[in-house]
Amino acid sequence: MAEGYVNVTIDSRQISVQKGTTILNACRAAGVNVPTLCHLDDVSTNASCGICVVEVKGAKRLLRSCTYSVWPDMEVYTNTERVRKARKTNLELLLANHPLDCLNCDRNQNCELQSLAYELGVRQTRFPRTKTAEIPLDISSPALIRDPNKCILCGRCVAVCAEVQTVHAIDFTGRGLSSKVTTFLDKGLGNVACTNCGQCALVCPTGAIIEKSDVEAVWKDIANPDLITIVQTAPAIRVGIGEAMGMDYGALVTGQMVAGLRRLGFSKVFDTQFAADLTIIEEGHEFIKRLSTGGTLPMITSCSPGWIKFIEHFYPEQLDHLSTCKSPQQMFGAVAKTFYAEKLNIDPRKLRVVSIMPCTAKKYEAGRSEMDGAFKYWKEKLDLCDEERFADVDYALTTRELARMFKEVGINFAQLPEEPFDNPLGTSTGAAVIFGATGGVMEAALRTVYEVLTGTSLEQVDFKDVRGMEGIKEAEVTINGTPVKVAVAHTLSNARKVLEEIKNGKSPYAFIEVMTCPGGCLGGGGQPIPTTWEIRKKRAESIYQEDINLGIRKSHENPEIKALYDEFLGQPLGLKSHHLLHTRYTPRGII
Amino acid sequence: MNARFDELKNIGQRLIRPQTPAIAVGMGTCGIGNGADQLFEAFRTTIAERNLDIQLRQVGCLGYCADEPLVNIYFPGKPLLVLHKVVKRDVTAIFKGIEKGTLPKRLVLCKISKWDHLSTVVEYGEGYPDIPEWNEVPFFKRQMKLIMRDAGLIDPSSISEYIAVGGYAALLKAVRTMTPEAVVEEVKDAKLRGRGGAGFSTGIKWELLRKAPGEKKYIICNADEGDPGAYMNRNEIESDPHMLIEGMMIGAYAMGAQEGIIYIRAEYPLAVERLTNAVKQATELGLIGSVIPGSDFSFTLSVVKGAGAFVCGEETSLMSSIEGYAGRARPRPPFPAQKGYLGCPTNINNVETWCNVPVVIGKGSAWYKATGTEKSPGTKVFSLVGKVKNTGLVELPLGEPLSTLVYEIGGGAAGKEKRIKAVQSGGPSGGCIPADKFSTPVDYESLAEIGAIMGSGGMVVLDQDNCMVDTARYFIEFTKNESCGKCVPCREGLAQELELLDKVVNGKATQEELTLMESLANSIGDTALCGFGQTAPNPVLTTLKYFRNEYEEHILRQHCSAGVCEALFDALCVNSCPMHMNIPAYLELLKENRLEEAFESTIRDNPLPGTIGRICHFHCQMRCRRETVDTPVHQGEIHRYLADTIYKMGSEQKIYETLMTEKKPATGKKVAIVGAGPAGLAAAFYLVRLGHDVIVYDANPKAGGVLRYGIPAYRLPREVLDKELELYKALGVKFRFNKRLGTDIHLEYLEKEFDAVFLAIGAYEHMDLPIPGTEYKGVIQGTVLLDTLERKSRVSVGKKAVIIGGGNVAIDAARSLWRVGTDVTVVYRRSRDAMPANKLEIEEAVAEGINFEFFTAPLSIKADAKGKVIALEVMEMTGGTFDTSGRRKPIETGKTRDIACDNVIIATGERVDSGLLEREKIVTTKWGTVCVEPYRYKTNRERVYAAGDMVSGPSTAAEAMGLAREAASFIDFELMGVKRFDQLFKTFDYSHEPPTEIVMTKQIEPRHLSVASRRGNFQEINRGYMGDQARLEATRCLRCDIRLSARG
Repeated sequence: MAEGYVNVTIDSRQISVQKGTTILNACRAAGVNVPTLCHLDDVSTNASCGICVVEVKGAKRLLRSCTYSVWPDMEVYTNTERVRKARKTNLELLLANHPLDCLNCDRNQNCELQSLAYELGVRQTRFPRTKTAEIPLDISSPALIRDPNKCILCGRCVAVCAEVQTVHAIDFTGRGLSSKVTTFLDKGLGNVACTNCGQCALVCPTGAIIEKSDVEAVWKDIANPDLITIVQTAPAIRVGIGEAMGMDYGALVTGQMVAGLRRLGFSKVFDTQFAADLTIIEEGHEFIKRLSTGGTLPMITSCSPGWIKFIEHFYPEQLDHLSTCKSPQQMFGAVAKTFYAEKLNIDPRKLRVVSIMPCTAKKYEAGRSEMDGAFKYWKEKLDLCDEERFADVDYALTTRELARMFKEVGINFAQLPEEPFDNPLGTSTGAAVIFGATGGVMEAALRTVYEVLTGTSLEQVDFKDVRGMEGIKEAEVTINGTPVKVAVAHTLSNARKVLEEIKNGKSPYAFIEVMTCPGGCLGGGGQPIPTTWEIRKKRAESIYQEDINLGIRKSHENPEIKALYDEFLGQPLGLKSHHLLHTRYTPRGII
Repeated sequence: MNARFDELKNIGQRLIRPQTPAIAVGMGTCGIGNGADQLFEAFRTTIAERNLDIQLRQVGCLGYCADEPLVNIYFPGKPLLVLHKVVKRDVTAIFKGIEKGTLPKRLVLCKISKWDHLSTVVEYGEGYPDIPEWNEVPFFKRQMKLIMRDAGLIDPSSISEYIAVGGYAALLKAVRTMTPEAVVEEVKDAKLRGRGGAGFSTGIKWELLRKAPGEKKYIICNADEGDPGAYMNRNEIESDPHMLIEGMMIGAYAMGAQEGIIYIRAEYPLAVERLTNAVKQATELGLIGSVIPGSDFSFTLSVVKGAGAFVCGEETSLMSSIEGYAGRARPRPPFPAQKGYLGCPTNINNVETWCNVPVVIGKGSAWYKATGTEKSPGTKVFSLVGKVKNTGLVELPLGEPLSTLVYEIGGGAAGKEKRIKAVQSGGPSGGCIPADKFSTPVDYESLAEIGAIMGSGGMVVLDQDNCMVDTARYFIEFTKNESCGKCVPCREGLAQELELLDKVVNGKATQEELTLMESLANSIGDTALCGFGQTAPNPVLTTLKYFRNEYEEHILRQHCSAGVCEALFDALCVNSCPMHMNIPAYLELLKENRLEEAFESTIRDNPLPGTIGRICHFHCQMRCRRETVDTPVHQGEIHRYLADTIYKMGSEQKIYETLMTEKKPATGKKVAIVGAGPAGLAAAFYLVRLGHDVIVYDANPKAGGVLRYGIPAYRLPREVLDKELELYKALGVKFRFNKRLGTDIHLEYLEKEFDAVFLAIGAYEHMDLPIPGTEYKGVIQGTVLLDTLERKSRVSVGKKAVIIGGGNVAIDAARSLWRVGTDVTVVYRRSRDAMPANKLEIEEAVAEGINFEFFTAPLSIKADAKGKVIALEVMEMTGGTFDTSGRRKPIETGKTRDIACDNVIIATGERVDSGLLEREKIVTTKWGTVCVEPYRYKTNRERVYAAGDMVSGPSTAAEAMGLAREAASFIDFELMGVKRFDQLFKTFDYSHEPPTEIVMTKQIEPRHLSVASRRGNFQEINRGYMGDQARLEATRCLRCDIRLSARG
């Protein structure tokens, strides 16, 4: 037996696993899928559900396979009557206090509790409801809705919020049956330091945390003949929506997605990636400017709205480090309702911009008061009053919401033809698509910054150092003989680390990319459930494949972007850009 | 530090044994609760006012809580005197006593000539020969003071006194002369086990931390004592806080920890205060916070007050709580020794575990292991509370049986006539241990074996007035509320368990739910995350294991024998009465002068009201709420009065006619009843009124069974019984006398001829007495003697008879023989208190001058050449340890003698004739009683039912009748398919106003025949109430059956 390995027997099958492996993982290695409702790899081992119990020879009680590591010659039984009974009993106990209104639930058919009840053969519970009071829904957030009645107190959301994101917006309160997950003083997610990242919704096994849906409003606008409703899709959607429509993990479905969106009735189907290229131009120039004029460094990217709210809450004194660039979603809205509206002679008040995002925080971002550059642009021109204010982006739907729309009208996704985006806001480069993966913005920016600064063409456009799922990645690029250190962080806990470094004056970086969600946008809080590391990696593969597929791989080479500057914006960091494409930030408290 | 240490030692020694008289008041929370603080103040002011040269100190608690407040008085050179139950008005007498040198006898509990503090012995002095030494007092006798070595003798606020009795010597020994590894080894070798309850080896736990990698290590003392009824940790800290600190410091040294935390219940303010003070003193002395001279060890210690949640006593929750998080369990592994407080390796031990450490190190492991058992050396402090006479903190060597704790130290049941039923050990995580398991040694393994745990040491004694279902429910409600709510089985499971228990206590559960309850409890224990949840179902599991009958009673009978589950009864007396006689109804009707209705009410519930009113054990009185005011209402005497009066007036005929007219139309069903004793008669009364054709078979020539052939006429005049049997004839019950089952009739025949057969033949076979000589002439069985007296009105006995036994038959036989002029001696192998006979009967027998020889066991019967009895050889016995029945085991002294006599009457108990049952193919239990479906009275034979003594074993007439009544109800249901039984009863309209004032009279004694007029006749002794007496007695009823709801 190899060193560091132990022999264990699982249901009479002998296998050898690495020392320190949990029983759960040893079982998986042996081909036994031990069910669990609370454990989630790399997120939580709360050990609360009592479903993953197994019988281990020599142990008096059943052991939780998620917490115990194997010991040499351990004999594990996962299928005894004792184990099956205990699992069923614990599941029944949960079901007794669970509202069994599956038909009306957002997570119907994608609910771990529901699936487990089916798998374990629990068709009814022997126990009555013991909780008397219904807990009111938390609808205070623009992005998320929490229904504590559906909560099974598995602790995944608390763990992801506290440990992955270090936000601590939610925690357990109360004792015994009164235990619940809630916010500080029950104020509601909308009134506390929540970043709206939606990772809680992504890990929730039931429908206790879901996004606040705008689907109905979007349907209504599409159906309104007086309105022109256009849609933009973020890079990560094309590698996610396929999953939600029953395809393989990470399926790359750009063309089908476009076709599907057309079938939903959108007037035009545009690409957020167009705006991503635009972002690179603006942000790249901003970086070059800071670098050359002694501006605040390191500069940190600002595309991820959860991250923005995080820094506003927890590190308001470091807001200067943020790039002033709006996110691609917002740049798209502002350009669509100005440049595009003007070009097609559309009354901007009748133009509706819907974005499809892998993100719940985008809902919040779209609603931020400062995100009305187009309105300000038109205000004088059209003599608008304040009551007529319109936002740059009207609705931000998640990948999951889009899937629901597809399903509602019976779109057979697999059979859709591949269709191209509309123009002029539909052309993008490989630099834009990689925005969907952690490190992508950095890589895209470097491709442009390098060429702008050096005036030479990059031969090797792949900056592999900033790719991959490692929490904090760093790279060094020599530009004109000067080494420039850059870093990429994903998840807010890693963001916190780089911020602490800056705070302590120890940050060696000039430029940092921060993405709120694990893996970047492809692992966003609005993406299909489940989203695991394995799935994230598959989505990333598709993203980088698309980078290659797109041919043009540098943002500054996007012909539509060039046209946009020529026809409308003038030059990067110019006055129009300043008004439409850049923004400001608000220091917030920690509550 | 060294010089200061010695200086403090001298100061302490002078404080403990001063040159002047000294008073020390026991000032634990328990003492203060009983007024020790006021007492202290009274002593202080008097000393100050009178400028007396008397030293006054406070000390901790000696543990005898039932006798608080305790005061120690010391005269230089004399033993320390311990006074008990001292109140403020005793102060003057005490000062006078100190002046004179003798104290009021009433106050003196014991003396302490010398006291072993283990690290040092304090010699107080010699003297006071009349006063028992402390360890001669039953409460202390079997105790071994290891943890409580200083409690009640030193001032807990004084470090000098602690040092004076050898405190901190073990610490200095450890850090100066031992390596940390050697300390760990010593603790390991001592086999010290965690006193928090789980009993894990302390040494191994220490070794784990010692070896755990990590710069920073912590030790924690778990002083979050929260079990209901447990308070030993409180007293240990309040009485001797330095002991804990010393133990922790030795532990820290051994494990390589630099920092210690004591997590203590905030609800223990006095303990917190004394502990904080002790930490301060130890810091000032240089023990804490600095390097101890002669070593390189330094240690800091802080006191953290608990957050008030029970679950914070669970180690992972406790660490969360110290870290500032909510007390919620964390999964283990990782174990605290790997990743504990603040992620650092941590050791957590209970207060008492730490307190053992100085002893282990000071005296060495070999000395330590001499106490207790092989696997569980040392002692354990128990808080003995509940229904025992002596409550308090008891420190016993491990391995002592529970009976020692409960009966010897606890002094047995607190209430007169009460029987201890169980001990709830180990708090909510523990279990209920039934009395018949009290021989179980109290150690970790033995308790675990019977499903309980030692836990922290709470021992709550329960008697027959505690309902075990309610007890389990209480604990589940507690744990349900205290569950941290993290894991599913504990959070959801306990709530469901409570739901189910609620159904049981309300009489609404089914047997399926009982099964569910059990499997749920097992599942919770099997899958809960932490020790709290894993053990929380123990109260349910152990009560189900040992008291399943109580659950079944609630479910199948909707009855709570203990009279606790309020939803199941209105008045306690009705609930206690085996026949559920509506006692408040006939009392109130009597008060309202509605005699006939009152009588009608009694006879509907009890067809023999005059008979049972005379001979009942009066279960009703044992639970009468009037007892909380003075003495119980004599409900039985009143229904006897009603019967006697109605019969005298002849008004019973009218009521008989009513019963006859309301008799149900003939059902065509034939019921055979075998046995015309109390059970058979009760069943016949109900079944015939339900319209069935009832034939009663009996082996005797007349009806009545034991009432006629067992109970002497001076207790039950035969004309009363005959009078009451008239009703049976009137109702149409047919009797077939001189027909003995198994001889004259057989079940096979009865089954063929009848639709139902009800067996009620009682328990008439005598137990065999295994001594030589029982075959001699002149040896008579007690039951045979009584039977013969009834049949022949005389019996041929000699001049002197010896009766063996202590039950009712023995007493009846003795008093009967005494009446016919025989010289009677009763020999009994135990004490008078241990006699199972009716206490009143024993008193009467003693009053009649019958000679009793207690602690006398029969050895053999001696006879002359003709085989005629001449003497009974007996062995003199003495009281040994307590057995599981709560009585001292009789032990032979070796001294034998002969008691000359002509007859030996054997009355050592009766049993069911199991041989007959076997022949009739009736399945019996291992006790020889008939095996029936619980509360359905169905035997293994189709259509054959049984109740009374043959099912329950020897019990009272009323109990037999109560069972028969239930059986009749069920038989009718089986025969007819509908429930009709309730139609036999009638609701009377009477006042439901509770009495506005309590008539302050104790129970009224009826007139009795003088002893002088009893000899030579069998005249009834009890002459019964006069009318005024009966009415006055009835007004004593508090009408607790009335439920009023407060409007607000």
